[in-house]
Amino acid sequence: MTAPSDAVALELDLAHAPQVVWRALTEPALLSQWLLPIAELELSPGATFLFQAEPQPGWDGRVNGRLVEVEPPSRLVYAWVVGDLDTLVTFTLTPTATGTHLAMQQTGFKPEQGRNLAGARYGWNMMSGRLVEVLARLAA
Amino acid sequence: MQTAAQVDDRVFTALADPSRRAIFESLTRGEAAVKELTARFAISQPAVSQHLATLRAAGLVHGRREGRSVYYRVAPGGLRPLVDWITQYRAFWTDSLERLERLLEKMDP
Repeated sequence: MTAPSDAVALELDLAHAPQVVWRALTEPALLSQWLLPIAELELSPGATFLFQAEPQPGWDGRVNGRLVEVEPPSRLVYAWVVGDLDTLVTFTLTPTATGTHLAMQQTGFKPEQGRNLAGARYGWNMMSGRLVEVLARLAA
Repeated sequence: MQTAAQVDDRVFTALADPSRRAIFESLTRGEAAVKELTARFAISQPAVSQHLATLRAAGLVHGRREGRSVYYRVAPGGLRPLVDWITQYRAFWTDSLERLERLLEKMDP
């Protein structure tokens, strides 16, 4: 899979059944061990949740989440909102002969159109026009 | 992990304006003088100069004086703050997924 230039995309093959991987992706006690601390997670589309990491300079440690798609044990999609950054995280689990192929993608490193929360920073749109291609070209 | 607020505001502000974005994109195709840029866009030369000053302050373009003209070109690495933001997340998820693999080993040896 080729990542679009506004996305983070990672894939790995795991020697564990999709049901086991799904638990690690959705149970707060397990999620807290590999991703970020989370107290509770109601597995239904539209439900909101909060990852609360250690505050750092410039970041209060909060990641606000909102479930978009919940299809155990194959697909999990949630909004990942940190301050001004509003992105979408997608996990896709595919069974393999040896376990699970896990694909993770974070997309939407751009301001939401129509939102004007803090002025100019939201006025630009990487996805519009050719700027996203420009970015890819200059980053190459 | 960076938030948008930590990425240099000047880069965002500079690219927030559609005219400046158009000028910037135009310059990615090659160096151009203010006069040439003015001809390409339906805005006045002082406005183009002002936009170029904003782009230059954000580190997105370089200016080079030759005779009575100033030629502008895209500054390599000007968009780096945006690229780095994505790079940081890539590193974050790479680390996290490594922890996930180790956790799965404990859960399901």
